[in-house]
Amino acid sequence: MDQNPAIQINALLKNYGPVRALRGVNLQVRRGAIFGFLGPNGAGKTTAIRCMLDLIRPDGGTLRVLGLDPQKRSVEVRARTGYLPGELAFDGNLTVEAGLRVLASLRGNHLDWPYVLRLARRIDLDLKPQFKNLSKGNKQKVGVVQALMHRPELLLLDEPTSGLDPLMQQEVLRMVREARDQGATVFFSSHIISEVEELAERVGIIRHGQVAETVEVDTLKRRSLRRARVRFQKPVKTQFLARIPGITILVQDDSQSVLLQIEGEMDALIKALARHPVSEFETERPTLEEIFMAYYTEEQEVR
Amino acid sequence: MITVILQILRRSRGAILGWGLSLGLLGFYMMQFYDTLAEQQGILEELISNYPPQLMAFFGGTENLFSPQGFLSMEFFSIMPVIVGIYAIVTGSGLLLGDEENGTLDLLLAHPVSRTKFYFGRAIASALSIALILIIVWIAFAGGVAISEQLDLGALEMLRPFIVLFAMLFLFQMLSLLLSMVLPSRSTATMAAGLLLVGSYFVNSLSEFNQTFDKLADYLPLRYYQSGYAIEGLNGEWLLGLFGFGLLFALLGWILFLRRDIRVSGEGSWRLPGWLIPWKRIRKDS
Repeated sequence: MDQNPAIQINALLKNYGPVRALRGVNLQVRRGAIFGFLGPNGAGKTTAIRCMLDLIRPDGGTLRVLGLDPQKRSVEVRARTGYLPGELAFDGNLTVEAGLRVLASLRGNHLDWPYVLRLARRIDLDLKPQFKNLSKGNKQKVGVVQALMHRPELLLLDEPTSGLDPLMQQEVLRMVREARDQGATVFFSSHIISEVEELAERVGIIRHGQVAETVEVDTLKRRSLRRARVRFQKPVKTQFLARIPGITILVQDDSQSVLLQIEGEMDALIKALARHPVSEFETERPTLEEIFMAYYTEEQEVR
Repeated sequence: MITVILQILRRSRGAILGWGLSLGLLGFYMMQFYDTLAEQQGILEELISNYPPQLMAFFGGTENLFSPQGFLSMEFFSIMPVIVGIYAIVTGSGLLLGDEENGTLDLLLAHPVSRTKFYFGRAIASALSIALILIIVWIAFAGGVAISEQLDLGALEMLRPFIVLFAMLFLFQMLSLLLSMVLPSRSTATMAAGLLLVGSYFVNSLSEFNQTFDKLADYLPLRYYQSGYAIEGLNGEWLLGLFGFGLLFALLGWILFLRRDIRVSGEGSWRLPGWLIPWKRIRKDS
């Protein structure tokens, strides 16, 4: 396998008139990985993906997709990439099958059509209706099939499960994982935390056109804030807990029960609690959603 | 590129047949009308002499009305640049911007086809769609001429005014394509090209009677349109000029398309500043 990263972005800039959509994005995605690009609407996720396909031209920075410059070798990049746009639009008068065949013809008709049919069957996609008569969910299914149908080396998926029911969401995520198992790199954007948590190995968090952090999903969950609920056997003056570095008392129900927020290691807390009779000690990891919100809250506080 | 051409032709087949057959039927009917006209030439000449010359100018002029070329100009070819021009302008402005505005272009250009091939494939297909319409109409005309007792024209002679008409329509189609790359929306590009076409028609029609219009008409494309008189022979310079400007517009449009950021559905383009739009000012003031 080629050792170049599947995606290498350095200091990518993109402005839409006065709006600074990307303000120096840096990102690297290794081959064969599933990478989640997480951020709220308007953060710059779609803009970054569209730069990778040369649909829009960056104002600065460098970009390599599968080791190629998308501006100079756009046809090659697109031939090896499957793209699912955030909102799929197509010639409404064509049937789904005719539409897929048009797209296949743009790829030189080198498609394994039985494979296309298998993909469609897996997500219950009827090929007969006209595109204009499809629901949002069915349009999304067409998008998924056309992105996967040529077995691309790189999948760029903009909100891949948007509009799908939970069962179909699971099936699409399975299909994406299978594509990865067959060697594809997957780069997908989302603002649905559970989806990223379930699918991605690494995640890039983008806010206001900059990648705030790129990190393994597990690491992110491990190293961030936790919560602990402590119940003492008898009433205790809990102020000593607040003096431990990294500990915040979130809720004090009564003198026997507290809810704590723990930042960093738990060693100091455990040692401090050991001096008191504890009847219950429960910890919980926050969901990625809570971590994500913490990012934004912190940033807003700084501003 | 063939794929792109075939895709557009497939999409336009209804329009090609609709325009081609309806205009062809009109032409076939007109050819039969010429026989009656020739038989009643005396009466009609007297009648027409009472019409204001400005009015006749709008329908292609009065000169040689009873000759085949004069008749064809007045009844058909003088107005066709405006009528089929609407089709040419709408298809030209929508060729790329139509798909961009509905969000389809984003998906199509994410496939392995270069922008150059995509652009020229579509431009060729849209010019071919006009050519196919005109071929259908020409076949109907040739059929009508064959039946007519008075019109002594061969099929190839009949082809000449269609070549000239095609050149004119090609020019306006490529102009509206270029304008769609420059202006913020498909509708503004259609409007601008349409205004130029209709304005050109009026100025050219009135140029016989007004010196200012006559000078202005020299700078407008319809001055170099031979209409039905092309039956007598093609003006090579005029024809090359029309095709040349059409190609120039196509090339300029291509350069702009290569540099263009493809918008997704709902994304706006540039806008005139608010202070330049009177109705916006009024709304703001109120």
